[in-house]
Amino acid sequence: MSAVHAVSDLVLTNGRIYTVDPARSSAEALAVRNGRIIAVGTDADVRPHIGPETRVVDLGGRLAMPGIVDIHTHMMMGGQAELFELRFGNTLRREAILDQVRAAAETTPEGKWIIGAQWGSDLLALFNSEESLALLDAASLGRPVMLRDDTYHNRWVNTAALRLAGITEDTPDPDQGSFGRDPSSGRLTGIMIEAAAGLIERTIVASGHYTEDMDRAAVAHSIATLNQHGVTAFLDAAAMQPVLAALKGLDDRGLLTAWASGAMPVTEPSFLFGVAGEELFALRDTFRSRHVRPDFTKIFLDGVPGARTAAFHEPYTPDAVFGCCFRGTTLATVPELVRWIGRCEDLGLSVKIHCAGDAAVTMALDALDVVRSFNGPTRLTHHIAHASYIRDADIPRFRELGMGADLSPFIWFPTAFLEGHKQTMGVERATRFWPNRDLLDAGALMAGGSDWPVIPNPNPWTGIEGLVTRQNPHGDFPGESLWPEQALDIATVLEIFTINSARMMGLGDVVGSLEIGKSADIIVLDQDVLTCPAGAIGKTRVLQTWFEGRLVHGTEALA
Amino acid sequence: MTGAAPLPLTVLTGFLGAGKTTLLNRLLRQPALDGTLAIINEFGAIGLDHLLVETSEERFALLDNGCICCTVRDDLVTTLTGILARRDKGELASVTRILIETTGLADPVPVLHTLLVAPALSGRLAVEGVVTAVDAVNGLATLNAHPEAVKQVGLAERIVITKTDLASDAELERLRIALGLINPAARVLEADMGHVAAARLIGTGFDPDALGRAAVDWFASATAPAGFVCSDPQAGDPGHVHGPGCGHHLPAGVVRTGHAGIETHAFVIDQPLSSPAFFRWLEYLTLLKGESLLRMKGLVELDDDRDRPLLVQGVQHVLHPPVRLPAWPDQTRGTRLVFIVRGIPRDVIERTLARFADVDAAAIKNPARGAMAASGNMAA
Repeated sequence: MSAVHAVSDLVLTNGRIYTVDPARSSAEALAVRNGRIIAVGTDADVRPHIGPETRVVDLGGRLAMPGIVDIHTHMMMGGQAELFELRFGNTLRREAILDQVRAAAETTPEGKWIIGAQWGSDLLALFNSEESLALLDAASLGRPVMLRDDTYHNRWVNTAALRLAGITEDTPDPDQGSFGRDPSSGRLTGIMIEAAAGLIERTIVASGHYTEDMDRAAVAHSIATLNQHGVTAFLDAAAMQPVLAALKGLDDRGLLTAWASGAMPVTEPSFLFGVAGEELFALRDTFRSRHVRPDFTKIFLDGVPGARTAAFHEPYTPDAVFGCCFRGTTLATVPELVRWIGRCEDLGLSVKIHCAGDAAVTMALDALDVVRSFNGPTRLTHHIAHASYIRDADIPRFRELGMGADLSPFIWFPTAFLEGHKQTMGVERATRFWPNRDLLDAGALMAGGSDWPVIPNPNPWTGIEGLVTRQNPHGDFPGESLWPEQALDIATVLEIFTINSARMMGLGDVVGSLEIGKSADIIVLDQDVLTCPAGAIGKTRVLQTWFEGRLVHGTEALA
Repeated sequence: MTGAAPLPLTVLTGFLGAGKTTLLNRLLRQPALDGTLAIINEFGAIGLDHLLVETSEERFALLDNGCICCTVRDDLVTTLTGILARRDKGELASVTRILIETTGLADPVPVLHTLLVAPALSGRLAVEGVVTAVDAVNGLATLNAHPEAVKQVGLAERIVITKTDLASDAELERLRIALGLINPAARVLEADMGHVAAARLIGTGFDPDALGRAAVDWFASATAPAGFVCSDPQAGDPGHVHGPGCGHHLPAGVVRTGHAGIETHAFVIDQPLSSPAFFRWLEYLTLLKGESLLRMKGLVELDDDRDRPLLVQGVQHVLHPPVRLPAWPDQTRGTRLVFIVRGIPRDVIERTLARFADVDAAAIKNPARGAMAASGNMAA
């Protein structure tokens, strides 16, 4: 019997290929034609697909697997900061920051903004003075300056920036924000607290500072960073118009080297500016392209535990501001959530709901319960983002209701975040964080997300290690484990970061595993993460990233 | 002042060519409608010129029987608040009711929505619902061709068949059956040469006795075995329909009406309901299924006051303000609900009532099992 074998464009051979197909099978070789996988098997199985034009890459026995799918990123911010803004650590002091501002001012055209981050919030009192403002004005050589703090909630700006924003000594504080004033003179200092920061950010946006070219460059930079770490598909978790436009612009130019989905906020988030909700949804098909799928929306249901803005069933520890019994608040009611989820289902959009506290999780599940009861089954998968503090009774509801658990960011091990939670929630409650084993046993669909730039880089391998060890993969907090009973095995974790994330993105039949017909999104690693010591997984380097059979990171020759 | 009794208001709708204009023209001459202020798009459109005795200003015209016609200039809310303000000042004192004709609009729901939710109109109007005009000659074809026409019938409180003098008895019978299949609850009136007794077309505002009786009538009509798909195997021609009393058998397909999927679901609940739970359920229903919910009406027995039922009414996602009736309108007590829907299965309503309105599933009954299965089986 003779078979006709299609000639492939690319063959990867002599590898240890972990396919993450339902059988969790292994293969040696794989053939690709027109960006799709046409054969997976032994070297002998794949050899007939090699023709004179076929690129053959010898993997030298290395582990290859499907590209990572990141279910929660913020593509614009990371790239913008790296390409166009001053970047300094939160340990830098005032004089050093001012030196950076002066150096930037010397090369910045007159009238153009200088933007930078992240000053330590411990400098707030020092900056909140007329003296510091005068120093900033002097360093900025007349250019408007805005510097973000390390919480991204507050800003320090100079007099030129205040002038452009129309803020004077007589301007009243905005709702939910305030202008810093020198305690001795009562005069403005350029410190902008919470909502006041938005006045400056909006002024910058309105000035046309961010051009479409810059937006595209920023997103392209972020995508290159993701590719470097082996990520070939991602969901932008707060996709405003500029992000979607940049993704579409890159795809139109053949420069988008990952599958992209965007979650369009139902209302304008506190930290992003522009059209949201119906107005944004109405534009979604103008951004749709081969690799761009604006098929999600985003609802922020609460805040974060460290700032006591997450909504919990039990109260926070007593506190001077909030008193004895504060549980946090949600930003929407069940009927409001029901309305949004119902509306999004009518539009064919899945909803990602930010829920940092267990009461927010309960409310999101309650709302989905209502929607499912009236609407019946759906092909859509909605997400709870940051599914981390979850009441026991709610764990089985994820599977029952088809709610996906977006595991992000990578903090299921001891971190500074957890230390903050211990202060506001007490040690016992704070450390019942990320019940991933319980979710797995209950049949929940879990997917991996970085929430970059909330964490410094989107390297999934530290997150993957942490899911297995529940210990800090960077070596901080040595000897400590966070709720070790919730650890998962590596094969399960690889599914979470590939096929599960793909399913939650609605791309389960396109990416997430190496099977015939799927996109040839393949990564080659410097070690076998299935067999190496769990504590070494975080050090994994991605040697090659292939997107649709194109090498988008690394070199073809493997050292 | 705003303490005045709410003005009864009726919305008159109907497909193009249904004879709304003639109907309105004739209605406004009847003594029963003395004191009516009709809001229309333009005077010329309804041919009232010969009735006008005075047009004191551009937008108002006085008819010889005291009715007033008013054209909409900016938007409906502005027009109505202007009228109410003038009435508060003692002008337009003779106005006792408002009739709005939705000229050129296929969908009366936005008008109802405006009337019921605009803060400026809150508490000032007793919105009685929709009267839908259907043409005896072309009505069936229109229903078969236009889902919007089916919707107009489905959400009607009352239906007027116009141009009956131009239709054969058989045509009329088919139309009646079709209307009964779409909306078995609404009262159907026939206008002969444009004439219909105005008193039968309009309600009485917030008069609770009349509202209660109307609700009981509605429920009785909705659950009466009329116009159902014949399941008698001896009759042959499966899917054919027959009229009230099983008089005429009509061939399948004649009453086709792109309304396959329009169904009426009636429920009796033998258990007093908790008000917050019932309204929570109703809110979810309208939030998620408003588009598919043409009409709902119910008398609800709440556990906080079992002697005074609550009248609830809605059209799509719009709920009328509920009215507490002073007593049960008839001997029967207990919650009665009727829903005219497009594509909401009965069991979804039943299950979600049990789930979110905290009702014991065993207490939810179908008052007309068998007869009510009708329209769901209609082939398109």
